[in-house]
Amino acid sequence: MSEFDAIVVGGGPAGSSAAMRLASAGHNVLLVEKADPPGSKNVSGGVLWGNDLEAVIPDWQKTAPVERYVKAKGVGFLTKDSNIGLEFRSSLFDKNRAGHMVLRAKLDQWLVKKAKDMGAMVASGITVDRVAFDKGKAIGVEQDGDLITSDCVILAEGANPRVAIDSGLREPLNDKDVAIGVKEVIKLSEKTVNERFNLRDKEGFAGEYVLGFLPDQVEAGGFLYTNKETISAGVVISMKHLRENDRTYSFDIIEQFLEHPAIAPLVDGGSVEEYSAHMVQEGGIERVPKLFGNGYMIAGDAAGFSFSNGLVLQGMNYAIASGIAAADTLIEAKKGNGVSEESLAGYRKRLLDSYVLKDLYNFRGIDEVTWGKLPHRAIPNALEHIMKGLFIEQGVPKKHLYQLMTEALGESGIRTSDAVLEGYRMLRRM
Amino acid sequence: MIELALHLVVLIKVVPDGKEVFVDPVTFTLNRSMATNIINPADENALEAALQIKDQTDAKVTVMTMAPPFAEPFLMECMSRGADEAVLISDRAVAGSDTYPTSLTVAAAIKKMGDVDIVFAGEKTSDSSTGHVGPGVAEFIGAELASYSRKVTYENGYVTAERELENGIEEVRIPTPAVVTILTDSNDPRRATLRKKIDAMKRGIITWSLADINIPADWVGLRSSPTVVKKMLPFPRKDRKGEKIEKEKIPELIDNLVKSGVIRVEAE
Ligand SMILES: Cc1cc2nc3c(=O)[nH]c(=O)nc-3n(C[C@H](O)[C@H](O)[C@H](O)COP(=O)(O)OP(=O)(O)OC[C@H]3O[C@@H](n4cnc5c(N)ncnc54)[C@H](O)[C@@H]3O)c2cc1C
Ligand SMILES: Cc1cc2nc3c(=O)[nH]c(=O)nc-3n(C[C@H](O)[C@H](O)[C@H](O)COP(=O)(O)OP(=O)(O)OC[C@H]3O[C@@H](n4cnc5c(N)ncnc54)[C@H](O)[C@@H]3O)c2cc1C
Repeated sequence: MSEFDAIVVGGGPAGSSAAMRLASAGHNVLLVEKADPPGSKNVSGGVLWGNDLEAVIPDWQKTAPVERYVKAKGVGFLTKDSNIGLEFRSSLFDKNRAGHMVLRAKLDQWLVKKAKDMGAMVASGITVDRVAFDKGKAIGVEQDGDLITSDCVILAEGANPRVAIDSGLREPLNDKDVAIGVKEVIKLSEKTVNERFNLRDKEGFAGEYVLGFLPDQVEAGGFLYTNKETISAGVVISMKHLRENDRTYSFDIIEQFLEHPAIAPLVDGGSVEEYSAHMVQEGGIERVPKLFGNGYMIAGDAAGFSFSNGLVLQGMNYAIASGIAAADTLIEAKKGNGVSEESLAGYRKRLLDSYVLKDLYNFRGIDEVTWGKLPHRAIPNALEHIMKGLFIEQGVPKKHLYQLMTEALGESGIRTSDAVLEGYRMLRRM
Repeated sequence: MIELALHLVVLIKVVPDGKEVFVDPVTFTLNRSMATNIINPADENALEAALQIKDQTDAKVTVMTMAPPFAEPFLMECMSRGADEAVLISDRAVAGSDTYPTSLTVAAAIKKMGDVDIVFAGEKTSDSSTGHVGPGVAEFIGAELASYSRKVTYENGYVTAERELENGIEEVRIPTPAVVTILTDSNDPRRATLRKKIDAMKRGIITWSLADINIPADWVGLRSSPTVVKKMLPFPRKDRKGEKIEKEKIPELIDNLVKSGVIRVEAE
C-alpha cells in the first residue's frame, strides 16, 4: 500500500489547489514545495483573473490576501516619445470583480496554509528529484535517494518543469517556447498610488504596454499593476530575442521601460522592494505535453497552461483550474476502479470541457502574431503619426483622417501589403 | 523500544537573523521587529557534529530548546535533517531568564532523560553571544566540557574533540557524559530530506513544562536572573565613500587599491 493517496509536487496556485481539493475530500495528500516559506521565489505580474478559487475556498474574495481589484484596464503602445493608449475604466468592474492584484509571496503562503488547514501534509523547503516508476506506473517520488510512495503524483512544478523533464514525461523547453519575465515591486504609499492612477480604496489599475521603442529590434511587453501601496512593474521579453542580441539584458529593458517619459512619473520616487525574474511559457497548445499517464498528471505552467496575447498574461487561473481538474479526476478514479492510465484520462476531458484547453486551442498560433514587427514597431509608429497629425498644431493645413492613416502605414516601417495581411491574421487569431 | 547505544542531545536557540537586526539609535535597544527568525548558526554546526557521530555509531539524537512555541518549526527542521526526537521546554515562567536559569533548566531536562552521553551546544549565540549556556549545563549536570570544538568523534566511552585555540589546535579526550560546544562554520550542515521531514511531522514534538522537569517556577525568569543589561550601543557608523567608477577607470582603480595596500598583485 502507498504511503499517500497523492503527492503534489509544487506549492504554486496549481499545486495548492489540487492539494486543497484532495484534502477536503478526505484524501491523504502530501504537498512538497521547494521554497520555504512557499511562494518566496514565485513571480506573477500579478493579476489573478477569474473566480476559479471559489471551488476550493468559497469565501476567497473576502479572505484572500489580495491587494486591489481591477477597476481600470489600460493598453498602451509606447514609442520613444509617446504613449498611445486606450483605457477601460468602468463601474461594471465594481459589481463583477474579474481581476485582483496579488503579491505571490503572500498569496502562495496563504494558499499552502489553507491546504494544510484542510488536512494536507505540507513539506516545504524540499526539492523533489524525480517521479519514481515501477513497471511503467508512477509509484511516488524520489528525493535525495529515498522513495516516497503514492497512488498518484500530480506535477505542478511551474514553468521550469525539471522533474517532468528528468523523469522523461516531457521534452526539454526550446527558446521559442519561453519568455523571460522581469519584475520590480516599487514602494510608494497608498495615497500616492491612488493619486497617480486616479483610484480610491480597493480600486486598482492594470496596464499592459507594447515597448515599441527598444533598440536592436528587441521585442518586449511591459506591465504596470497597482498594489495597495506598491506598484508591480515588469517586462516580458522573448527568450529568442535575448539569445540573438548579445547586447540585450533583461535588467536593461526593465530600466528603459521605467524611464520612458510616460511611465517614469508613475513610479517616480519609489524604492525597489523586490526584484525577480521568472520564466513564462509561451509555447501554446503545440507544446502542451502528454498530460497524464499511469499514476501521474501534470498541471499548471508545468503543462504549458498559460495564455498571452501580448496584452494580457494569464496563468494563475489556468493553474488553479487545472489543479482542481486533476484532483477531481483522482477523486473519481479512487471511487471507481483505482488509479490507472484509463481512469486518469478523465483529466484531459475535463480540461477540454473547460476554458483551459479551449482557450489554448482557440488561440493556437497566437504567438506568431503577438511577437513580430507589426505589433511591436508598425502599430506604435503608425498610431503616433496619426495622433501627431490630429493633435499637434503645426501651422499647416489640416489633413483628413483617411489621409493620415495612409501616410501612417508608410511611416510604420513595414510594407503596406504586409501590414494589411498581418493585421488580418492578427485580428483573426486574437 | 530498542535501546540505542548512544544518546546525543543538541541544544539549539532560535535567534533573529543578525543581518536584519539593528540597534535603535534612540533607545539603544535591539530592534528585531524587521527580522525573521533562524536557528542560531553555531547550533546548526552543533547538530551536524552530532549527526556525523550518528552516521558512524548507533545513536539517538535529541534536539532541545527552551523557548516559546514559535520555536517548533525550527525543531521540526532539525528533525528533518536527521534528529530523532525534539523537546521544547516551554513555560511562561521562564520568560526573561538569563544564562543562569537557562542553563539550570536545560540541565534539569537532560537529567530527566537520564541516559545522555554527549550534549552539543553552539559556542555562542548570534544575538547575545555570552557563550555561557554550554559550560553552564556542563556544570549543572556534572559533565566534562570541551569548548571551542570544530570536530568531535566518539569511541568507547570517550569523546575526542579538536579545539581551535588562538594559536593552534588542541586535541582533547574526555569521558562521557560530556558537553562539547561547537564553533560556527566548523562543518557543512546537511539539508533536510523529504523522508525525514515526513517522519518528523508524523512524530511531532515533545513539550515539557517546568513541572515536567521538577523546576520550581521561582528558580527561573527575570527575577531569578542575576544579569542586568544596562545599556547597548551601536558601533560608530563608518560611512562609505560611495564613489562610482566608469568602466574605463577600472585600471586606475586597481592601481589606487594597490597603492593604498588594500589589494596586492602577484605574478602567477
Ligand atoms: C513576469 C510574470 C508576470 C505574470 N503575470 C501574470 C498575471 O498577471 N496573471 C496571471 O494569471 N499569471 C501571470 N503570470 C503567469 C503565472 O505566474 C503562472 O502561470 C503561474 O504562476 C503558474 O502557476 P503554477 O502553480 O503552475 O506554477 P508556479 O506558480 O510556478 O508554482 C510552481 C511551484 O513549484 C515549486 N517547485 C518547482 N520545482 C519543484 C520541485 N522539484 N520540488 C518541489 N517544488 C518545486 C516552485 O517553487 C513553485 O512554488 C506571470 C508570470 C510571470 C513570470
Ligand atoms: C541583547 C541581550 C543581551 C543579553 N545579555 C545577557 C548577559 O549579559 N548575561 C546573561 O546571563 N544573559 C543575557 N541575555 C539573556 C540571554 O539571551 C538568555 O539567557 C539566553 O537564553 C542564553 O544566552 P545566550 O544567547 O548568550 O546563549 P549562549 O550561552 O551564547 O549560547 C550558547 C549555546 O547554548 C545553547 N542555548 C542557548 N540558549 C538556549 C536555550 N534557550 N535553549 C536551549 N539551548 C540554548 C545553544 O546551543 C547556544 O548555541 C541577554 C539577552 C539579550 C537579548
